[in-house]
Amino acid sequence: MFALARNNLFRSRMKALMAIGGVALAMMLVLSLDAILAGLENRIGAFVERAGADVWVAQSGVRNMHMASSAVPRGLVDQVRQVPGVAEATPIRYLTNVVRSGDQDYIATVIGLPVGATMGLPNALVPGGTMPKSGQVVIDGAVGKAGANVGDGVRILGSTFEISGRSEGLASSLSSLAFIPLSDLDRMLGNDRVVSYVLVRAAPGVSAESLSAAIETRVNGVTASTRTQFAGEERRVVRDMSTEIAVIMNLAGLLIGFAVMALSIYTATASRLPEYGVLKAVGASTRRLAGVVVTQAALTVVVGLVLGLIAAYATALIAPHLDPLFDLEITFASVVKVSLVSFAVAALAAIAPIIQIAGLDPAVVFRRRIA
Amino acid sequence: MGLARRNLLRDKGRLALSIAGVALATALVLLLSGFVDGLDRQLTSYLDQSPGTLVVSQAGIKNMLVATSVLPQGTAERVRGTDGVASAVPLLSSFVILEFHDAKQAGYLVGFDPLQGGGPRVLSSGRQLARDDEAIIDRTLAQRHDLALGDTFDLMGQRFTIVGLSEGTGSWMTGYVFVRKAEAETLFKAPGMTSFLLVTPTDGLSVDRVRADLAALAGVTVTPKAEVAANDVAIFGRFILPAVRLMTAIAFLVGTLIVGLVLYSATVERQREYGVLKAIGARARTLYGVTLTQAAIITFAGAAVGLALALGAAQLVMVLRPQFQVTFLPLTVAVRLASSALMALLAVLLPARIIASLAPADVFRRS
Repeated sequence: MFALARNNLFRSRMKALMAIGGVALAMMLVLSLDAILAGLENRIGAFVERAGADVWVAQSGVRNMHMASSAVPRGLVDQVRQVPGVAEATPIRYLTNVVRSGDQDYIATVIGLPVGATMGLPNALVPGGTMPKSGQVVIDGAVGKAGANVGDGVRILGSTFEISGRSEGLASSLSSLAFIPLSDLDRMLGNDRVVSYVLVRAAPGVSAESLSAAIETRVNGVTASTRTQFAGEERRVVRDMSTEIAVIMNLAGLLIGFAVMALSIYTATASRLPEYGVLKAVGASTRRLAGVVVTQAALTVVVGLVLGLIAAYATALIAPHLDPLFDLEITFASVVKVSLVSFAVAALAAIAPIIQIAGLDPAVVFRRRIA
Repeated sequence: MGLARRNLLRDKGRLALSIAGVALATALVLLLSGFVDGLDRQLTSYLDQSPGTLVVSQAGIKNMLVATSVLPQGTAERVRGTDGVASAVPLLSSFVILEFHDAKQAGYLVGFDPLQGGGPRVLSSGRQLARDDEAIIDRTLAQRHDLALGDTFDLMGQRFTIVGLSEGTGSWMTGYVFVRKAEAETLFKAPGMTSFLLVTPTDGLSVDRVRADLAALAGVTVTPKAEVAANDVAIFGRFILPAVRLMTAIAFLVGTLIVGLVLYSATVERQREYGVLKAIGARARTLYGVTLTQAAIITFAGAAVGLALALGAAQLVMVLRPQFQVTFLPLTVAVRLASSALMALLAVLLPARIIASLAPADVFRRS
C-alpha cells in the first residue's frame, strides 16, 4: 500500500514538488505566525527576568510593565527598604516613547536608572561597560540593530542623547530599550515626585513570595509581585491580546493548506482512476484503495511538513537580519499543533478521491479499453 | 478560448478545487491588507473625531499613541493667550493595562475635561461623565469583555463605574477609556499634568501662522493633527507590516503553486493532443495562448470568488469580533487583484516549457 502511494505521489516529480511545496508553504504560514507571537511572548519578559530583582513593587493594581502605567511616590522607596527581608532596593522610572535615530522612529521603553543602581541595568554592555552618564544612553534592540552606533546621537523626548553603549537580549520586537540616568528623565518629565517601580532584592534566606507579601502589608498603595509573577504577567499581555488574531490567521493558513492538499490528492487520484479500476477488477477492496489514497495524503503532509519546518526555521534565522523588528521562535507546541492539524486536514482532503474510488465500476475500465 | 475552456471543464472537480485554492489565497491576501487598512483607520479614529487642527505636545513629540508627553507647567495658559487660538483642549493620556475578568487588555486612557471637550464624540449608550469615579469605555471593548453600563472595574488602585459606551474608539489591540482629567492626574500622581493640547485656530486665520506662533513657546512641539495621526499609523505599521508582508508573500506563492499544479496536470494529460496540433501546423504561440487562457480563467474566477469570500469573511469577523475592522480600499484591492494576474503568468511558465519542448514527430512515433 505504501509503495503504491509513494509511486502515485512521485510518478510526476513536478506535480509532487508543487503539491508538497504548497503544503509546505501553508504549514510555514501557520508556523511563522505562531513563531512571531512566541518570539514576542518570550522576549517581552526578558528585561524583567534579567533585571536582578526578586520582587517588583508597583503602584497599587499594576502587575506588569509593558504598556502599563505605574507611579510610586518616592517617599515610599525608603519604606520599602525598611521592610525586613529587603537586602537592596533600586527605584526606576520608565515611559514608552518614540526614539529617533537618523530619520527613523522606534518605539522604545525609556528607563531612568538612579546613580549607583544595582538592578535593572543594561545587559552585557557592548562596548560601553558603564552606567550612562548625563546626556548618554545605552540602547538595546531594534535601534541598535538598525545601525545606530556608539557615539551616535538619538533623540528622546526632544533631547539628544549620545549612545554610550549597547546592551543585548533585553528588548522585544515590540519595543527597544533605552537606559538613561534617572535625573535626566526627571528633568525631561518636569518632576521628581514619583518613580515607576522599585526593584527589590531579597536578603539571603528570604523567599520572594514572603517578601512580596510583607511589602504589601507594610507599605500602603503598592502591589508587590515576585519576578516570576511579574514576568508571567508581561507575557500574558501578549498572549491575551493576540489570541483572537492568531486563531483567525491560523484558520486562514490551514484552509489554504487544505485546498492545496485536496487539489493535489484529487488530481493524482483522478489521473490514475483507470489503474484503480484495474486493481478493483482483480480483487482489491475499496477499503484497501482508500488506504492508498490516505497514505498518499499522509505522505504529502509528512514531506510538506518537514519542508515547511525547514523553511520556517530558515525564515526565523534570516528574518532578523532583514528587519531587526522580526524575532521568530518556533516552539515544540506549535510544531505538534501544526502536525496534528495537518494530518486531520489530510484525512479531510482524501474524502473526495475516496468517494470517487468507491463509486468506480471495474467493468467500465475494460469497456473503455475494448472501445 | 474554446479549447482552453474544454480542457478545464473536462474535470469539473479539479477545476472547482483549483478555483477554491486560488480564491482562498486571494481572500487571505485581501483580508490581510483589509485588516491593516482597518487598523490604520481605528488608530486614528479618536484624533479624527476630536476637536482642533493642531496638537501641542512636549518638545520633540510628534506622536500621540506611543508617546508619553508632559507639557511644561503653564503651557495651556500660554497657548490660550497666543493670538489666533480659539480654543485649546487639554488631555492627559497614556497606555494602561486593564484587567477585565482576569484577561489583560491594553487600553488607552484619556483624561479630559467634560466642559472643554476631548471626550468621545459619539456614545452608543449611557451618558457623559459626571463624577471622578466614572468612566466611558469603547463599546467593542465592553462587548469583548462582557461589560455593560453600571459595571465596575479597577484601574491602578481606583474603582470606576462604566456610565457610557463610546463608538469608533477601539481596535483589536486597544480600546479607549475616558475619565475626567482630574481623576487621571490622581491616577498618574501628577497634579496639573497635561500631555497634549488640541488647538483650534480662530476662524479665518492661517493655521500655519498660528502654528508658527505656538512653536515659539518654550518646551513644546506643534504638529498638525493629521500628521500626528499619520505618525501613529507609521510607527504601528513598522512592527505589524513585516509579519503581514511575510504572510502575504506565502499566500501569493501558494496561489501560484495551485494554479501551476492545475495547469501542469492539464497540460501533461493533453500532451499528446498538443503534439497533434503542433504536427498539423499549430504554432507554439497558439498553444501558449491556450495555456494562458486556462490560467486566466482559473485566476479570474478564483479572484472573483476570493473577493466575495473576503467581503463575506470580513463581515462575519466584524460581527463576531467587533474589535476588528477590515477596510477594503479600492486601490489596495486593485493592486491585490493585479497580483493574482501575476500569479497566473508565473504559473504558466512550466506548462509553456512542456509545450515548447514538444516534438510533433514524437506523437506519431508513440502512436
